[in-house]
Amino acid sequence: MSHAFDIEILRRRIAAQERLTPIKRPAVALGPAALDAALPEHGLATGALHELVPATHGDFAAGIGFGFCLLARIARSRPGQILWAAPAHLGFREGGLYPLGLAALGFDPDRLIQIAARKSIDILWALEEGLAHAPLAAVVGVLPENAHDYDFSASRRLAMRAARQGVTAFIFRGRENPGMSTAAETRWSVASLPSLPAPVPAMGARPGLGFGLGAPRWQVKLTKCKKGTPGGWLSNQPDGWDVEWDHETLSFRLPAPLADRAPAWAHGADNRPDDRPGTSWAEAS
Amino acid sequence: MALTTALMTALAPHGQKLREDEALVLVTTSDSGQHITALNRAAEQLGFLPGMALADARAIHPTLKVGHADLAGDHRSLVRLALWCQCYSPFTRVDAPDGVSLDITGCAHLFGGEAGLLDMLAERLGGFGLTARLAIAPTIGAAWGLARHAASPRLAVARQDLRACLAPLPIAALCLDATTLSALEKLGLKRIGDLLDKPRAPLAARFGPFVLRRLDEALGHEEASFGPLSPPVLHSATCRFAEPIVTREAIEVAIDRLTRDLAIDLEHAAKGARRVELRLFRVDGWFEALPLATSTATRDPRHLARLLGERLDRIEDHAGFGFEAASLSALQVEELAGRQQDLGDEALAGARGDIAPLLDRLVNRFGARHVTRPQPYASYIPERAARAASVLKSMRSHDWRAHARVVQDGAPFARPLFLFAVPEPVTTLAEVPDGPPTRFEWRRVAHRVARAEGPERIAPEWWLAPAGASRKTRDYYRIEDEAGRRFWLFRDGLYERGEDVPRWFIHGVFA
Repeated sequence: MSHAFDIEILRRRIAAQERLTPIKRPAVALGPAALDAALPEHGLATGALHELVPATHGDFAAGIGFGFCLLARIARSRPGQILWAAPAHLGFREGGLYPLGLAALGFDPDRLIQIAARKSIDILWALEEGLAHAPLAAVVGVLPENAHDYDFSASRRLAMRAARQGVTAFIFRGRENPGMSTAAETRWSVASLPSLPAPVPAMGARPGLGFGLGAPRWQVKLTKCKKGTPGGWLSNQPDGWDVEWDHETLSFRLPAPLADRAPAWAHGADNRPDDRPGTSWAEAS
Repeated sequence: MALTTALMTALAPHGQKLREDEALVLVTTSDSGQHITALNRAAEQLGFLPGMALADARAIHPTLKVGHADLAGDHRSLVRLALWCQCYSPFTRVDAPDGVSLDITGCAHLFGGEAGLLDMLAERLGGFGLTARLAIAPTIGAAWGLARHAASPRLAVARQDLRACLAPLPIAALCLDATTLSALEKLGLKRIGDLLDKPRAPLAARFGPFVLRRLDEALGHEEASFGPLSPPVLHSATCRFAEPIVTREAIEVAIDRLTRDLAIDLEHAAKGARRVELRLFRVDGWFEALPLATSTATRDPRHLARLLGERLDRIEDHAGFGFEAASLSALQVEELAGRQQDLGDEALAGARGDIAPLLDRLVNRFGARHVTRPQPYASYIPERAARAASVLKSMRSHDWRAHARVVQDGAPFARPLFLFAVPEPVTTLAEVPDGPPTRFEWRRVAHRVARAEGPERIAPEWWLAPAGASRKTRDYYRIEDEAGRRFWLFRDGLYERGEDVPRWFIHGVFA
């Protein structure tokens, strides 16, 4: 009897105890090899709970944007609607989710069902209801910063329900709370990064201000990976990854480090100022 | 068959307790002074009549108690009562100012025949503190007259006795207007019996068609229309309880039975319900209504029972002395062909790709306005280009890519992930007046612009001109600050137009 066989039997026994179906669900690959390699299933596990946390207060839109890119990849491989539950007052503070902006990211707004809830407990209820319905592709909950209802047992309930029907769950949390542990499969911290200059000058780009905005770019850190092997996901990302989203191919890419510098021809005959992202306009002019 | 109740409410003003022998009148104020509109039995025995001037009444009886009549409140209570009466018949209406009519065709046998129904209703109305006169007659007109003018306060008249019963009534029982009444009385035609054998043509020539029409309606020679308070419901189920029920468990049992009955009814008609309403009739003359909407036509009793059961918390608090009857009506139905029954597992329904049960439960909890799907709208103005439509309205699919191409007019600029419904003003510093800002301050945080792209010029939709909307051309810029955060700013108006100095706004945030 081989070790692998023993381990498989043990896995099944644990799965039965945890009331999880031992069905292997295909993970959704994110694209870049470095990213996928950090994840134990070589991709984002479906039928699991994932958490997204903005790195700072102002990175809320960045976190949601990254989340919708993940959703766009999940939506590509699994049919069904996506349930979005957010506090009703979110629209005043952060603005309302704009379908044309979702379409610009490559996410089909037609697959979105939005719920405006008053309390975080209602959001969690909606997510649990959604997770029990297999025809959904994913459920997304935006929790306010002071959501005390979301604790370990609440996250465990979500994770178990997600595993049962294979619906993936995402939770956006206001802020990372280091003292709190949850049953999430992974936790991502997202920060905005200046976009790389578009390879071709965009229409209306100002000469002094680079060539317009490039594709959305974020610094993404995997701060938790439940099934990851020690040294696997932590050592792979000393400082997180700088990922860029391609809305045409619906895939992430890690821009080559070289691309972070100004293109060589920028120093050419026309004395174009340095285009490094980080350089302020005032300094550049 | 119609039943009419004429009510005399003996309401003490402001809920004061009134002794039986204390005379009370309610008055209304008009240009010609204050007149009595309602009075209690003690006042009636003193010889007062409705319509009398208050000054006259005071002169006769100086210690008379007087209150102001609340006509709007009276009407509201009448509507409430007419709705409550729907637990006896689905067709009820208000006969302003003082009565309620029920069309009891085919209903009386459920309550022990006409006599049983009269006794039951008289007892219940008496219990509410109402003095009621009841009459059952084959026509609405006859019932109306008999309830108000017959000698007996409670009677049921059969068709063969109708003529004989109507004959001694005063002509006021025909529900005629005041001028016709006084004209008839001047000619000595005081009772309905006086009109019955008169030649018809001279009557019609002299008083117009209404006298004869009312007479024919009362006698059943002509059809009278009955405008019920609520539209007729084709599919409904009712149940009555031996004892008033209060507890949630008992209500749930009743709901189970009602949904099953309704489902059978709907199945026979090959229909599914889109809107249903549960009504729980309270013993004290009111009912609690629980309306419900579903995203697709359904007649699954378990699904309906579950949706209703989830909303019982509110109902339970309002049970009062208990509910004596319940009804479940399908207010809006759609065609729903019969389907082979599945094994009844919700997971199985899920496997078919049907999310309607989920949507119904979400709508049930959050309200129809709060569970939405985005819907495109043909407008160049960004905040108007997309709307949120309730999932109950439509589940049609839309081509958003095509929509984006149309409303952006082929421009390659992306749209933000979050859009503010109302653009927020920002203070800016720009290098050149018509260029993008070099720095701006939003919500007390200063941002230095690292990159900008634009302008994308969006002109107002002058052909629509919504009231109060900005009529200025907007120049939109995609802005990236030094931290890499991306914003959508616009300048409201153009410099060269010679308008005021244009202001800057932030309209959205990019991912």
